[in-house]
Amino acid sequence: MNFFEKLQALDRRYIYIVVALAIIIPLMVQYNSDVVTTPPTENLYQLIDSYAGRSDRAILISFYHDAATMPELYPMEIAILRHCFERKVKVFTMTFYAAGAPIIDFAINTVKEEYPDIQSGVDYCNFGYKIMPMITALGMGDNIATAIDTDAEGRKLANLPIMKDIVNYNEMNLIIETSGSSAGGTWITYARSKFGANVAVGVTAVMAADMYPYLQSGQLIGMLTGLKGAAEYEKLVDVFAAYRDENFPQGRPFSNEILRDPSINKLINITTQTQAVFSPQEYQAFLSKYPEQAVSLDNLKEDKDGQVVFDVTKISAEQQQELGYNAWTALNKKTYNILYKFKTARIGMNAQSIAHIMIFVFILIGNIGYFVTRKKDKKV
Amino acid sequence: MKKNIPLAIVMIGGLVWVLWVFIPHKILSEDFINNFYLPWIYVQAPFGVILGVMSLVMMHTAKIQRKAPKWQFSFFALGGLLITCIAGFGWGTQNGSPMMWMFTNMQMPMSSTMFALLAFYIASAAYKAFRARSPEATVLLLAAIVVMLAQVPLGLKVSKHLPDISQWILDVPNNAAKRGILLGIGLGGVATSLKILLGIERSYLGGGE
Repeated sequence: MNFFEKLQALDRRYIYIVVALAIIIPLMVQYNSDVVTTPPTENLYQLIDSYAGRSDRAILISFYHDAATMPELYPMEIAILRHCFERKVKVFTMTFYAAGAPIIDFAINTVKEEYPDIQSGVDYCNFGYKIMPMITALGMGDNIATAIDTDAEGRKLANLPIMKDIVNYNEMNLIIETSGSSAGGTWITYARSKFGANVAVGVTAVMAADMYPYLQSGQLIGMLTGLKGAAEYEKLVDVFAAYRDENFPQGRPFSNEILRDPSINKLINITTQTQAVFSPQEYQAFLSKYPEQAVSLDNLKEDKDGQVVFDVTKISAEQQQELGYNAWTALNKKTYNILYKFKTARIGMNAQSIAHIMIFVFILIGNIGYFVTRKKDKKV
Repeated sequence: MKKNIPLAIVMIGGLVWVLWVFIPHKILSEDFINNFYLPWIYVQAPFGVILGVMSLVMMHTAKIQRKAPKWQFSFFALGGLLITCIAGFGWGTQNGSPMMWMFTNMQMPMSSTMFALLAFYIASAAYKAFRARSPEATVLLLAAIVVMLAQVPLGLKVSKHLPDISQWILDVPNNAAKRGILLGIGLGGVATSLKILLGIERSYLGGGE
């Protein structure tokens, strides 16, 4: 048996080991990589963003999946919820899948930890598990509070502050279905064609091909495709919704020019960031916000290449107390360090990159072995 | 009588939906469908749950009694059902409840593990079976490689044109095939529905005729 014949007969277990390493190592050793955003993701982001701060607009996220597809779909849900909480967009959640109910709680609680001001029944509302998609989708076209009646906590929907100015699909004008199937079709059939609601989907990568006809025909206003779609959305939230400066205290609007600007690289680094870097002018502005902490800040700062730099890992617990919660949080924010839960899709994409390259190499080697062996057989 | 009444129910029930689509009038769409007709459909759900639980319990109990192959696993299925019910009914499903603990520490990792196995099978299949044996297989192979590489950030480093080529593959050949399939399914669905509504297709009534 020559080398190529041996290659053809390679034990599957070696392939499994290589795949396991190709996935595990990039998950553990993070590196920065850019995810280029695509129009279906950008369109969805922009529509949600257009509802920012409006009491007469809301979105609905329908979690139509169980834990099996969570690695791909959960980061999308987290990113969309984070966008809504950052930009004060009213958000409703529900599921037609019993196993999806705990995922909603898990997702909301995960994001809510970072937004102490966000309240259930005011800024968001979980309808919980509902049966009969068709009836619910049709009923909400008439009146949401009648079709749903009570939320997951058993509260009468009509009495909740979030329902002020929200009646039906005219106000809850965007439905996002996250699923590992083509279940988004229910909303296209009933909510879009009958009531004109905007529908978008977040699907696992293997289901994306099924949804492309709807995307191309305009029946879907946007689509998040697998882990890549989630990574794109995470990036948009970091660059726009979570961005804060003097001019944009509540996040900045979407712009293609900003996306192409290299200056955004510091906002999307997924490796741990520990240094808060200020230009001298920025530092003066920062000091004017926290004049009582000026002495402490001056003691902690370092000057590097004309910039004022703070290494937050070098600041002890006592020094943090001295700075106070607000100044310490603001300093931390200036590092642009992204919390792990808000970058899981991008970390996953790094692993997926290596895995895809690995599969490509497997296909190549397998075919080389196949052709060499076939040529030899023909000669014989 | 045994046949005519069910046939009439199906015909009337089906025609109501046809009228609802083609006659967008308040009396039909709101007063009749939304307020009277739709709430009846909710009745199905509790019966579905009862039927499901009964079927699961009866099947696994019988398996244990007969000592069928791998009957021991039926204890886990029944135990899982019982424990989940007790946790859900007893403490609810909110954060911090036993149900949520089971979900995050058992169901989530186990389900994700099952789904993740797909990566290993795909890699193995790619190596063992994805061969350019014919021109058609070669086209499929090339399309798969382009789409796969274009999906990841490293693909851009290979060529900046990869995403455009991948998008063309998805938008044109993929969509053409998908539309053909969807139209076929749609036309088949309409034809079958009409046959049922008009009483031509009666196999759902049973009776072996």
